[in-house]
Amino acid sequence: MKAKPLEISRRSFLKGSAVTAGALSLGLLDFHSWAEASAQAPVTRIPTLCNGCGNRCAVFAYVKNGRIWRIEGNPEANGNQGVLCPKGHGYLHDIYNPNRIRTPLKRVDGKFQPISWEQAYKEISQKINLILLENGPESIFWVNYPQPNHAYALRFMHSLGSPHYFTHGSTCYTARNAAWNYTIGRLPSNDLANSRFIMIIGRNPAGGIDLGQVKDIVKAKEKGAKVVVVDPRHNETAILADEWLPIKPGTDLALLLAMINVMVGEKLYHKEFIKEFTVGFPQLEDEIINYPPEWAEKICDIPAETIIRITREIAREKPHVLIHRGYHGAIGAQYLNSFQTARALAIANALLGNINRKGGIYFAESAELGELQPTHPAPAGPSGPKADGTGIPGRYPLGSYGDGISHSIPELALRGILKCGFVYHHNPLRTNPNPKRVIAGYKKLDLLVVIDPVLSETASIAHYVLPASFYLEADEAVDTKHSGKRAQVSIPQKVIDPLFDSRSGFRIIHDLAKSLGVAKYFNFTLDEANELRLKPLGVTLKDLKTKGILPVGKHWKEGCGKLGTPAGKVEIASSTLEGLGYPAIPRWEAPLVSPDAKDPHSFRLIHGKQAIHTHAMTANQPYLMAISRRYDMIRLLINRKRAEAIGLKDGDVVEMKSLVGEGKIRVKLTEGLHPSCVWLPSGYGIFSKHLTTAYDQGLSYNDFLPTMFDPTVGHAMSSEVIVSVKKA
Amino acid sequence: MAKYGMVIDETKCVGCYACRVACQNQNHLRENEAYNHLEEREFGQFPNFNREFLPVQCQHCDNPPCVAVCPTSASHKRKDGIVLVNEKECIGCKYCIAACPYHVRIIKKEGYIEKCRFCIEFLEQGGKPACMTTCMTGVRMFGDLDDPNSEISQFVARNRHRLRVLKGEMNTKPRILYRKA
Repeated sequence: MKAKPLEISRRSFLKGSAVTAGALSLGLLDFHSWAEASAQAPVTRIPTLCNGCGNRCAVFAYVKNGRIWRIEGNPEANGNQGVLCPKGHGYLHDIYNPNRIRTPLKRVDGKFQPISWEQAYKEISQKINLILLENGPESIFWVNYPQPNHAYALRFMHSLGSPHYFTHGSTCYTARNAAWNYTIGRLPSNDLANSRFIMIIGRNPAGGIDLGQVKDIVKAKEKGAKVVVVDPRHNETAILADEWLPIKPGTDLALLLAMINVMVGEKLYHKEFIKEFTVGFPQLEDEIINYPPEWAEKICDIPAETIIRITREIAREKPHVLIHRGYHGAIGAQYLNSFQTARALAIANALLGNINRKGGIYFAESAELGELQPTHPAPAGPSGPKADGTGIPGRYPLGSYGDGISHSIPELALRGILKCGFVYHHNPLRTNPNPKRVIAGYKKLDLLVVIDPVLSETASIAHYVLPASFYLEADEAVDTKHSGKRAQVSIPQKVIDPLFDSRSGFRIIHDLAKSLGVAKYFNFTLDEANELRLKPLGVTLKDLKTKGILPVGKHWKEGCGKLGTPAGKVEIASSTLEGLGYPAIPRWEAPLVSPDAKDPHSFRLIHGKQAIHTHAMTANQPYLMAISRRYDMIRLLINRKRAEAIGLKDGDVVEMKSLVGEGKIRVKLTEGLHPSCVWLPSGYGIFSKHLTTAYDQGLSYNDFLPTMFDPTVGHAMSSEVIVSVKKA
Repeated sequence: MAKYGMVIDETKCVGCYACRVACQNQNHLRENEAYNHLEEREFGQFPNFNREFLPVQCQHCDNPPCVAVCPTSASHKRKDGIVLVNEKECIGCKYCIAACPYHVRIIKKEGYIEKCRFCIEFLEQGGKPACMTTCMTGVRMFGDLDDPNSEISQFVARNRHRLRVLKGEMNTKPRILYRKA
């Protein structure tokens, strides 16, 4: 059965001739008929959380006659402060997307056949039991993109005896997190609204949208703050900035080392803070003399006098200043030197004395959710380490055990270590590097179960696909995603009944646990679990469901105090790192690869987000893809002079090749990009034929990336790739 | 009688298109039907470079060419300053599309012409336009330009030297003012 396409008309909506009909039947009408029938219908407003990206903004969904109409931001939420991005508005329509799957599916002879939930659970469990009997409990894995039920997914893996719960972190942020952890003991937040000087390196909150951060940058600017954006591309945040510093990609470490050199050389650092709250400053003084601004200029293309001026400017306003804590770009999972870059960034902040200061880097208040124990005993933790080597000396000792290295799953499958697994709210075939290798790995599995509302690339090769409810159709677990100056607890909840035979993520985990004989660890309902989790916070589930988000706990207080590092202070020099064979103080480290300066066709391929897309999950959304097409955004950005030197005009089709991939794409010529690189927007290049809007539109940077693991945390080094660009 | 108007801050738009999709939902538009447009412009040469996004929608002109050319009076100007199309009277002749210098009118599948309505359904309930309330940088300000105490009038008074209208030479007298960089 094929769903009717969306038909929307304001004319009929305004006509005002109310038709009385059952709410449920109207919910499935096309938008045109629905609008006509619903003009006089009462409107219901239900608070929930968006699922259009990992930020999961708090929203109000409006429903008329059983159909979702529109959403708006919840003003109480720290994360989005009442506003919403285009993805939030557009993604809600995917609930009515004709590409949605309507029943569980089983792949038989390469084709999917509908199957009942009970039969699917039975067959999946039988297969898993056999696989685990033969290969041990650690041969099963679970991988997901951020989602509210992660605690239950982890509990599910532990109840089966497997350590192999993974997030997408190794392709996103693990170098950043590790560096902050080893420097100040935790990942901090940015007090942008109260900052006097904001420097942002390789992060673009106006494009890889963080609504609250952008609102705070605007507030700070209105109070006179200066904003400097460092990025090879003139990104969307740079539009709001006072200065754009177009750095050569992969060399942010040189800029930061030179800034530290100036701070130390000119004694611009916060002396009291250094004395009281840091260890290792004398070692830094000894080593940093190697990195004067004149040295950095030759590497990173930012003039020495600019580096000196910016450093003096930011130091003048200390401690109410910050260098953004960063995300994916530059320091998350991009370069061989990302970990050292993130360390230098954390240390530069500490030298400004801004740790847990107003307008600086601060520690967000977070609320401790209640435990399910002792009413519902937890399974014993797994006995062995993760097979990916996270936390193991000699392999990836700084890697995050909690996140794991998810892009190693295909490698572990090819080596026969992982035999079966679940992929939930995630699409590694499109979002992991080197898809040919990823496909080979996931296909090697004896059993692959994908939990998704649509047939993504990964779902397309699964043995079983379980239709997850769309986020507006189901209650899920409470969490503290929106914590900031005060902690907040929030809940994703059902706005309308499921349209098809889909189930919530929580219920699928619960059902699978029962079917696999570990029901004793899941002897609670979602409401019971949510109530236990909320108990210590003094919030009732009923109140939370009414409001969607509630403040809990104490207000943030300024002041550094004892930190979570071994020294209890900022570790400018880290003996732990030294003991593991890494430099105690950040040192210059060149990127792994560089374009050939003599070859006019040789470029580094970098990537970033457009505000209208999240990873590979929104490209199939007709409202968002209409913007990509209308504004010709599915193009490769290239520096105008470099392009003209190889005979390219705006809009020409080029052939791009790397060691592992090739593809054709149209170019956009711009003056707003460093000449050494080309920039590809992420989110395109969908190759699942089941995603009819997105299929075969543009390319993904992953097509060009070899499978790589950096030697600190095992991240993907996703900008360490050189491509050849030629007119097609 | 209120006289509605809008100020758009040219320096704040980062081109996210949230206004476009919020408006589409509010007004039940199809994915290719949009009342809000963003025009991207680049300035300078690497590395001295900047760019901006200019949000353009119906300017709700006080001297609206669309109203002047409409043979059926479907396009009309309300006393509160809002220009509307009465879709029952619209015969789809497209004269208004040719006359509008801002290229912000669309042809609906049903055959009539439409464009930004300043979300009058919301205004009548005391709300604000959807394009304005969703915006993370606060590009738009909306209110009564005839009330000297309104936020928008006060803003206009303070920023008079930095305000402009689009295509002022056309003498359309837009009710949307743009704050220049």
